[in-house]
Amino acid sequence: MQRSIVVVGAGPAGLAAATEAATRGAHVTLLDEAARPGGQIYRQAHSALGDSEYAEAGERARKHDILARFQSVASRVDYRPDANVYALFGNGELHVAYGAGSEVLRPDAIVLATGVREMAIPFPGWTTPGVMFAGGAQAVLKSQRVLPGKRAVIAGCGPLPIVVAAQLLRAGGDVAALASLRPLREMLGNPRALWQGRQIFYEGLRYLRTIRRAGVAQLSAHVPIRAIGTERLEAVVLARVDAGGHVVPGAEREIACDLLAVNYGFAANSELAAMAGAELRFDADRGGWLPASDEFGRTSISGLFVAGDVAAVRGALVAEAEGQIVGAAAAVPPKSIGDATMTAALRTALGRRQRHQAFQTAVRTTLRVPRGLWNLTTDDTVVCRCENVKLRDIRSALDAGHSSLNAVKRNVRSGMGWCGGRTCLRAVAALSELHAGIAPPVIMTPRPMVRPITFGAVVAQKKAVDA
Amino acid sequence: MSLPAVDVLIVGAGAYGLSSAWWMAKRQSGARILVVDEGEFASGASGRNGAGFRMQWGLELNIRLCQESLRFFETAVDQLDYPQGLELKQDGYLVLAHSDKAFATLDSVLPTQHRLGVPSELLDADECVRMVPGLGRNRLVGGSFCGKDGSISPFRLLDALLRACRRDPNVEVRYRTRVERLEKSNGSFQVSLTGGPVEAKRVLLCTDWAVPQLLAPLGAEVPVVSLPKEAIVTVPRAQMVKPILVSLEHHISVNQVDRGSIVFVVARPREGTSIESTPDFLAYAAPKITDLLPPMADVPILRTWGGVSSVTPDMQPILGETEVEGLYVAVSSFRGLMTSPAVGRMMADLVIDNDTNDPILAQLGPRRFKTGELIVEPLLNQA
Repeated sequence: MQRSIVVVGAGPAGLAAATEAATRGAHVTLLDEAARPGGQIYRQAHSALGDSEYAEAGERARKHDILARFQSVASRVDYRPDANVYALFGNGELHVAYGAGSEVLRPDAIVLATGVREMAIPFPGWTTPGVMFAGGAQAVLKSQRVLPGKRAVIAGCGPLPIVVAAQLLRAGGDVAALASLRPLREMLGNPRALWQGRQIFYEGLRYLRTIRRAGVAQLSAHVPIRAIGTERLEAVVLARVDAGGHVVPGAEREIACDLLAVNYGFAANSELAAMAGAELRFDADRGGWLPASDEFGRTSISGLFVAGDVAAVRGALVAEAEGQIVGAAAAVPPKSIGDATMTAALRTALGRRQRHQAFQTAVRTTLRVPRGLWNLTTDDTVVCRCENVKLRDIRSALDAGHSSLNAVKRNVRSGMGWCGGRTCLRAVAALSELHAGIAPPVIMTPRPMVRPITFGAVVAQKKAVDA
Repeated sequence: MSLPAVDVLIVGAGAYGLSSAWWMAKRQSGARILVVDEGEFASGASGRNGAGFRMQWGLELNIRLCQESLRFFETAVDQLDYPQGLELKQDGYLVLAHSDKAFATLDSVLPTQHRLGVPSELLDADECVRMVPGLGRNRLVGGSFCGKDGSISPFRLLDALLRACRRDPNVEVRYRTRVERLEKSNGSFQVSLTGGPVEAKRVLLCTDWAVPQLLAPLGAEVPVVSLPKEAIVTVPRAQMVKPILVSLEHHISVNQVDRGSIVFVVARPREGTSIESTPDFLAYAAPKITDLLPPMADVPILRTWGGVSSVTPDMQPILGETEVEGLYVAVSSFRGLMTSPAVGRMMADLVIDNDTNDPILAQLGPRRFKTGELIVEPLLNQA
């Protein structure tokens, strides 16, 4: 009998998994929240807008190739855009809403390729209109071909701020400054890894050349400590920080801008896996709470797989190779093929994943947020935007002896709003650790719905489909 | 070697446990009180319910329990020294009847309510719809309304009680502390706890459906079983439902809180002690909710959660001393939050002052089940 697979997420990992599983004869359903496949990195604009020229040629080629490979099997994949996968239960039921309707799916295997979101470090003024996540600013540029600001300051750590700064410049934007938490030379410490990741590394160098030629002020070991403006962002105050992330007094500078794009790394979209009861682990540098998984993406729940950044943040190239591996593993009945046989059959993809992973391991320290940086969040800073919870409120709950994320939540409502803690949970955890020594962090109990759906859509639910 | 000793060990830091500890400490008898809870703050039924309270009952004892408790809620900010506020809302409580039989029951209990001073009134279907324009007409016969009823934040109330208890040097509250073993010898209780043993002169069990498993090794029993429920909260909306609603036939309560979110608690016959959200719950609840309130079809559900309340054979609390001397129980039977102030006061009377004169306590003791006569509350279980 044909095996049914549901893949959640149509970024590089999800596309590769769906393509591989379909190639191997499985019946594949690909669910994605966006209107077009590609995910964050290979986000496609509406066809009327044409393809982006802002990304490096190598990245454009990778995007073209993965979408073309998916197209080649598309007739055999049930691809459903604009899908809201709002719950996953331990019994293998996946609940999906599509606008006014909803459906329960119960496939033989589920591959979660839900990727990551950006991690926020709240600082005074970070909720001012004009302050965005760097990836969010890039998404506006990619999908709508609109500059999200006239004059930008880009800040944070890791490679994304560099990419976003260069792409804004190429799109005709003005970038006033690029502030990096860590010096770029940190990446140069491991020549072997650089050689293995040379493709990406060279692309990075070309982005840096764009930035240098535009005369953008590059500030190493600087972070935004304050956003100024009431109705709209008017300026940003940057300050020097030491290796521990503590602000060095007296080294502040104010830069006028109407866009501040910040990225301090990522948080894995692991809610569905957590809701289903999959075992989690915590890795602060690679996305926080991650579903524990083996080399073939198998989680602690039989039939539930993870692939790509949701399994541990390692970038698009690892995600694509891993998607292929996990797609292949999900396409065969459990225990029907021994791990050694599978390893032999997937040697090429496993090797590719290993190479790209080595590079990512070498550069992962650039994504490490030093503990002291969380001191940027002051008592008056809003931490949970949905429920308007300030650090002062959280500290008051901690001081009263509430010593877990669940207990803090029940007291101040952090994470109880629209986003369910997706934006603030890592911050509440880090701030609780900084101010009350709560460690190791325990995830807040994940509950349906991951995203809201209406009562009407539930009433219109189709019954469980055993695919 | 002697164990660390307390005068009273309270097991369970929910509304009953914390309220009892606070009222006991207030007696200033010098008694040392230890409250233990195997979970964390507000992780049990007291932190998972629909937050409503009402004086609209049919039995005098339930009305009195809730009247006394409401008097406390109205002054709790001062009594507990909790300036943050308890989100006390008194926009009324509308008990809906969707059958002539249920409406007749509402009518039949009105004289008792009025005799005791509950300002309740009967409304016909039109009046109900005027009060809550979103109400569906399907089978709606009418309702009973009391403007003094309402809701209170469970989290705020528990936090206020916890902070007040912790300010008292004679009270200690420990979370993540489980009772591993409870024994009695030489007139006192030896209790093995997570983190070490204690000796207690008296023990009060406030763990609802988990009480029987603590009592069993001592040869005592009270009849209480678990009652899992699930709840739904919507995204904030402009006011759609001003009073709290309960529909006796739909088995649903509705509470739109100040921030605009609408909370639905939906009872469904189910066994077990799991607080998980079940896969088929929303499909079960959504048609009932849109039947009760059709405009809800367009309202987005933000989240669901589960909790486990308790139920006794006569659906009344069990309050009092068990057949083991010095061992007390306070079992809520699914209305712990709304009756917790009165019950805390009674347990202080009983455990600290040995005062057994309260007429309500006399009716709700654990021994009542031996006689075989059950007191029945008419405003429950109308389905």
